[in-house]
Amino acid sequence: MLTFFSDTDCDITPKECAEYGIKMISMPYTVGDQVIYPYIDFDEFDSHKFYDMLRAGTMPTTSAMSEEAYIQHFEPEFAAGNDILYVHFSSGLSNTFTIMNQAVEKLKAKYPERKFYTVDTLGISALCYNIVLEVADLLKAGKTAEEIVEWAKVEVPKFPMYFFADDLKFFRRSGRVSGLAATMGGFIGIRPIIYLDNAGKMVSIGKETGRAKTIARLVQYVEELGEDVKAHRVVIGHSDCPDIAAEAERLLKEKFGQDLNVITTVVNPTIGSHCGPNGMGICFHAKHR
Amino acid sequence: MQPIFELDSLVFADMLRQGTVSLCKDKKVINDLNVFPIPDGDTGDNMLMTLKAGCAALKDNMGTLSELASAASSGMLLGARGNSGVILSRIFAGLTKGLKDVIVADTQAFAKAMDAAVTEAYKAVPVPVEGTIITVLREGTAGADPKDDLNHYFETLLEAMQTSLDHTPELLQVLKDAGVVDSGGAGLVSIFRGMNDALNGNISHEEIEPTTATPVPTVELNKFDENSTLEFGYCTEFLLRLMRSKVDLDTFDEAVIIDYLNKVGESVVAFREGTIVKVHVHTFTPGMILNEMQKYGEFLTIKIENMALQHHQSTNQDNASFKLPPKKYGTVTVASGEGLIEAFRGIGADEVIAGGQTMNPSTQDFLDAFAKINAQHILVFPNNKNIKMAADQAAEMYDKAEIHVLPSTTIGEGYYGIGYIDRDNPDIEDVIASVTEIMQSVVTGMVSTAIRDAEGDQVSVHTGDYVGYSGKQLLSDSPNREEAAKALIERLGAGSRDVMLVFFGEEVPQNEAEKLIADLQNQYKNLEIMLNNGAQPVYDYIIVCI
Repeated sequence: MLTFFSDTDCDITPKECAEYGIKMISMPYTVGDQVIYPYIDFDEFDSHKFYDMLRAGTMPTTSAMSEEAYIQHFEPEFAAGNDILYVHFSSGLSNTFTIMNQAVEKLKAKYPERKFYTVDTLGISALCYNIVLEVADLLKAGKTAEEIVEWAKVEVPKFPMYFFADDLKFFRRSGRVSGLAATMGGFIGIRPIIYLDNAGKMVSIGKETGRAKTIARLVQYVEELGEDVKAHRVVIGHSDCPDIAAEAERLLKEKFGQDLNVITTVVNPTIGSHCGPNGMGICFHAKHR
Repeated sequence: MQPIFELDSLVFADMLRQGTVSLCKDKKVINDLNVFPIPDGDTGDNMLMTLKAGCAALKDNMGTLSELASAASSGMLLGARGNSGVILSRIFAGLTKGLKDVIVADTQAFAKAMDAAVTEAYKAVPVPVEGTIITVLREGTAGADPKDDLNHYFETLLEAMQTSLDHTPELLQVLKDAGVVDSGGAGLVSIFRGMNDALNGNISHEEIEPTTATPVPTVELNKFDENSTLEFGYCTEFLLRLMRSKVDLDTFDEAVIIDYLNKVGESVVAFREGTIVKVHVHTFTPGMILNEMQKYGEFLTIKIENMALQHHQSTNQDNASFKLPPKKYGTVTVASGEGLIEAFRGIGADEVIAGGQTMNPSTQDFLDAFAKINAQHILVFPNNKNIKMAADQAAEMYDKAEIHVLPSTTIGEGYYGIGYIDRDNPDIEDVIASVTEIMQSVVTGMVSTAIRDAEGDQVSVHTGDYVGYSGKQLLSDSPNREEAAKALIERLGAGSRDVMLVFFGEEVPQNEAEKLIADLQNQYKNLEIMLNNGAQPVYDYIIVCI
């Protein structure tokens, strides 16, 4: 049997876990001296409250998971005779996966017949969510883990996410975006446009003035780069700015038709700690990233 | 009264003081010679404060005339405020140059020094405009008669200056339209009238109020200690190695440690180099801090000293055994209004000098600000044409960093300029180029109460009305503030802009500002509008569009 794992950094919630049979790895974040595990320390994510807290000046931190934690997640599956397929967020953005690999090596030594497959989505939030759902579809259609890993090699680089951030102090603090200029952002209404490249890293590729133009620019990327857009889902992720997400959806449906399959997610708090409130991104199927 | 053929330092000191008294009397009249109907750029105040700074630098027994002139000139250079103040300080700098090594001056020597003053005054201004203070100085000096005693010289000098002053409306249309003479020129005439009075023995012995502005510089500005109650405790220094087992090294932000230290200790000097955090802190409870630090790493070295036993009782950051490495770019700007100042800090300004239209900062204010910043390059945003010269003067005088004065003439340019500094870009020329470019895309408008009637190209302004303007262009007028603001915003071309920042001033109630924004957002659907409580004086609304 194959156990399908994903993590909360992919914006999945207990709802998706139930619907698609996913085992969730809860990625923690820290506020002050309190460590919080999404969906373990709370049942429902109160995103508005969380992002209001960030707006008020709190800056949560995140850290890698420990080897023991990974062993605790994976060992029961191996012990029960199951293989694992883990669809996870970008290894280019955290060294938690180095630690995960160490844990998996230990487990493989203990359970030599068991197999561990991964799909590195090379993304965060809405991008991962999109791929998780694609994998869920493939599994439902009876594909094997090997077939899915082959699929991922070709398809993961065809799921870009273009997004903008509002308050760059969160990004700057995490040190994770290259090409970011200065203070920019909501203070002056000039926001950087960021995307995730094929190495799973965040790169700023330009800037836009004013919210209206910024949203339009993201939609423009979907138009210019999109390939078989309607054959796949378009996932819009936002950090507590539903009106902006709704505007993007409206523009997309205008361009692609009302039957475009658009799903909106709220950026999970662990990733949200690094991107801050009032951000929005669009993940779609494209020719390339 | 006996005619005077030789000017010595005692007489000249009296002349300077009497010049100050005279200017003090005429200050309000000169302030009111304002061409623009907005209560801004108080020439009288600026020149007076500049002159007072010069007098403050005088002591008894000043020695030679040359030494006295030099002392007064230095004081004025540092206390210079506003363009008129800076030019005045350069006039006296020129006078000092001309009087170099002179013990006492006869008429010829003084006349020569006045010529040097004229040269220096013209050099001070990038684009000399005739019909201003420099014209009055030049024509006055040209019309003065050096062939007799000094009393005669000053009498003819004053007469020629007055004639020149009366003539300034013929040289500058804007003066003629407003029906006034040039304020800087008027200030100069007032000063020289006072000097003439002193020369003729008419000394009023009035107390010149000590200047409430920046004092003559003291020696070690860094010794100024905000933590004046701290006298005991432990000077604690350590090197902490951040541990991968305790923190995610790739994403860890040492601000967490620094914020904590600032909460529980004093005199924090802390920075990170790779995976080592170097800390210096004064605390009553070093054990508590050490325990907290072990959440993040392990110690390489620790040094704890009881400060009561330290040789130097220095209780500030100076006794750290290491210095923060200088950062690449620092910024200094000028604003007034609590909210506006906070906004500038939020956008990344290191030092915000409080002051704006009504109280121009002095050269010394800029020097003090530079001294507080530890950076290789300091970018200065004066946000006002009348402040740039003092900034330039300070830039010339400061040698501990490279100072770059950006040509920001409005709050909007300064705000966007600072926000656009790419701190990761190592090329200063490139940074300046992109900052300059964004400043050129910004347009700023203000709403104030008109203090006089005025005629613009598009509107007639009435005293007491709310007037909307941008630069020197009058764009709207209404007895209703909201209407004036809306008309201004329309004339600024808000319809074709993408972002608009609105800073409302201390006279405007919050709900009025909020209603204005709501109406505007309805009218301009594609415009991103942000409201800020600037709490600034004089300008009820500052509108910035890009």
